[in-house]
Amino acid sequence: MSKKELAAIGSSANPDAFSAGQAAALTASKQLAPHRVQGVIAFASSWYDQAQLLAGIQNIVGQVPVVGGTTAGEITPLGPKTHSCVLLAMAYEDIVVGMGAGGHVDQDPRLAGYQLAQQAVQPMNGKPRRGLIMFGDGLLTGYAEVLRGIQEVLGTSSPVTGCLMGDDLRFTRTCQYAGDQALTNSVVGLLFGGACAIGVGVEHGFEPISKPRRITKAHENILYELDGQPAASVYEEYFGADVLENLRKEGGLTRCLIAYPLGMQLESTEQYLLRNIMSFGQDGSLICTGEVSEGSWVQIMIGSKEPALEAASLATWQAVRNLKAVRFVLIFDSVSRKRLLGRAAADEISRIRKVIGPAVPVIGCYSYGEQTPLGQDYGQWRASVQNGACLIVAVGTEK
Amino acid sequence: MKLNPRTPILLFIAAVSVGLLAFDFDWLTKTLVLMAVLGAICYMIIKLDTQQRQLEELDRLRTGYEKLDKQAKLIIRTDLELHRTQEELDRKLTSLFALQELGQQLRVSLQPDAIYGQLNAQLLTSFGFSQGLVGVCRGTEEVTWQSMIGVHETAAEQVRHHLQASGWIRSLLANPAPRILTLPTTDPNAQKLLELLSASTVAVAAVVPQTGPAGCILLVREGQAGEGRGDTELLGILTTQLSSAVENSALYEEVWGSQRELEQKIHLRTRELAAANEQLTKLNKAKSDFVSAVSHELRTPLAAIKGYASLLHSGQFGPLVAAQAERLGKIEKHADLLAQLINDLLDIARIESGRVTMLQRPIEVKEFLETIVESVKPQIDAKHINLETQLDGITQLVGDPTQLLRVFINLLSNAIKYTPESGTITLALQRDGAQIRAKVQDTGCGIAPEEIPRLFQEFYRTSNAVNEKVKGTGLGLALVKRIVEAHQGKIWITSELGKGSAFHFTLPVEPAKTESA
Repeated sequence: MSKKELAAIGSSANPDAFSAGQAAALTASKQLAPHRVQGVIAFASSWYDQAQLLAGIQNIVGQVPVVGGTTAGEITPLGPKTHSCVLLAMAYEDIVVGMGAGGHVDQDPRLAGYQLAQQAVQPMNGKPRRGLIMFGDGLLTGYAEVLRGIQEVLGTSSPVTGCLMGDDLRFTRTCQYAGDQALTNSVVGLLFGGACAIGVGVEHGFEPISKPRRITKAHENILYELDGQPAASVYEEYFGADVLENLRKEGGLTRCLIAYPLGMQLESTEQYLLRNIMSFGQDGSLICTGEVSEGSWVQIMIGSKEPALEAASLATWQAVRNLKAVRFVLIFDSVSRKRLLGRAAADEISRIRKVIGPAVPVIGCYSYGEQTPLGQDYGQWRASVQNGACLIVAVGTEK
Repeated sequence: MKLNPRTPILLFIAAVSVGLLAFDFDWLTKTLVLMAVLGAICYMIIKLDTQQRQLEELDRLRTGYEKLDKQAKLIIRTDLELHRTQEELDRKLTSLFALQELGQQLRVSLQPDAIYGQLNAQLLTSFGFSQGLVGVCRGTEEVTWQSMIGVHETAAEQVRHHLQASGWIRSLLANPAPRILTLPTTDPNAQKLLELLSASTVAVAAVVPQTGPAGCILLVREGQAGEGRGDTELLGILTTQLSSAVENSALYEEVWGSQRELEQKIHLRTRELAAANEQLTKLNKAKSDFVSAVSHELRTPLAAIKGYASLLHSGQFGPLVAAQAERLGKIEKHADLLAQLINDLLDIARIESGRVTMLQRPIEVKEFLETIVESVKPQIDAKHINLETQLDGITQLVGDPTQLLRVFINLLSNAIKYTPESGTITLALQRDGAQIRAKVQDTGCGIAPEEIPRLFQEFYRTSNAVNEKVKGTGLGLALVKRIVEAHQGKIWITSELGKGSAFHFTLPVEPAKTESA
């Protein structure tokens, strides 16, 4: 087996958590034999008993770094799945991986990021750091602070990417995997070092539809006022108060509005950072899935299938264009896009595979947020959590 | 009242003109001032006009912008509606595919209980449900989960206990139609069930097949209540499908069970028959061995008896009185009969034990028949019987000449015995495919149908007037049958009382092939 083939995928839909984890790990490790698995990235349905699932995985691969978490749907090479477990096992001699985890994100996100990076950097032993893939709790905010904590240790010369884990749209509890532990209210990550390069591509395909409004009052992820008016009134104005009320009564307001995120225009670019609405506050505020900053201009965004599919192709191309060879690809796809695409969600995976080629192992998940690098300023990576995006992370070799 | 913006300018011009006329300036100054004022006024008018046009343009833009925003609202609302319709359509399509897939899976399910386990997580999510419990009912009181999807074992056990304790199973089986339980509810049992499943809506139905175990289904849908539209219909289809599958598999199981039972019985009977056959073969061999041994033992003293009787009868030991000669003659006759009986028994025993090998020689029919007829000619002549032969152009037989001679003579002797004076006996040969069929037919008294099956048994003799007068061993036909069968042939009888009987047997045309050939 050549070096570039030393990543393998396993998946299982066995309803028993331990069996599912074991079966998926066994499938992957068999493909890598006789090489020893050095690390695993795993995604699984929140319906599983997560501790049992991880026990099943480690029963096969042993005490190696296992990162990932629960999802709002799993992505396998064959298409999107639910109620399943999918994992990617690696066995590269020239790549070093370091796992880290930080807890209490709700209380001290910066410290959580700092702890994660401190642990992840340990195995590097002076080897060049290529990038960190992190997995956070999708029901929390404060990831700008988490990122600052991470960058305090790792600096800004390598990209920090990843996603915020989901829970099958139940919005009750998400899990982040760190070895044999299924954590919550945490952030975990896998730092890549050695002879590899990480390519990142991100696109969403959403377009602004409403009038731009200025954020006149906001705090962290709570948007209080737009143009001096209660922020929720904007949605009432565009969707109709009665429609929103009916949706609220049916319990599907949040799920429905996932398809219409708020787009926050980035300074000096035409890019939009997307923010999903998690809930409506009693005071007319909107609770978003990421930070919103006062003074920014926001618009309601709208999407359609074809631009969304094109965005996936474009993001993939962005991720792989600077790589000499692609070893494996991770897809972090917003749950908004899954809802937008519906049955066409499988087409998105096909388009991504068309760009990277059928031989490249690929797995991913539908997430509640995507940690997306927004490009480099004088060699320094900027990053932010975004919603509604298709984030492609390709691990390969440098050109 | 809205003033024209030019009105103040005209008033200003009028005021300036009046001022100029009122003050004592020379004409030049007046003209210059007037021109400057007029120039400024013109500039102001132009500026004001431009501003006016810009304001009007801005108004138009604002109106257009508002109109666009209104259209955006319309687009969003339409898109929302389309999105929801599309999702519903997607759900229905996915459900249809899932139903089809389930149907295919159910077709290959042979265990009624296992059918309830076919509703797996993948299918359930395809139907749009996120959690589910599918169980098999034992009677009307108990349920065992066959499929637990997205429900923890502890919760599933609690739900099971609640369903059993509250008598829900019974009422569900009595009224199996799908129904939706939604919070808030006044039914405390439904409330408890929803709480245990941590759900706001649960779709419930029972599967009640005509044969096979009944079952129950509890499905939870996450998301909007509106997404559950059509759940009762879907559940209805699902329960019907499961019910048919359970009935089919129960039927299959029943048929399969019966077949298996039948096969077991056949197997048992075959074994019993084989054992019995083996036992019979052993017994038969023992009988043959016994008969053979006894016959051998009898033959020696019989030969001595016959020899001494013959010597006495010849008068070598002195003259005999008539009564003595008559008795010695009877001794000789009975000794001959006994010797014949012993020989026949020995032959039967030898053939049965396979110790006699039938020769496979060509036999010229013409000479063979001459020998036969010569043997029976005195008896035929004595009864003035007409012997007819029909050879169908057959010139050759294949077999053991000595043994076949015994067959023909035995059958002809029997025919002569039962044929009345001046009767007819027919000896016919006929080609029948790969064999030759022989027939010896008489015009005697015939044989009762109930006696025919027993005719070939050893020592069996028919009960008729002829047999009462004529002595016989009852071994002739038994020997004939064994000789014919040893030639790979068959023998059978057709007879009609009062009209006569016919003995048919077959012989192969070609020599019989040995196994090694």
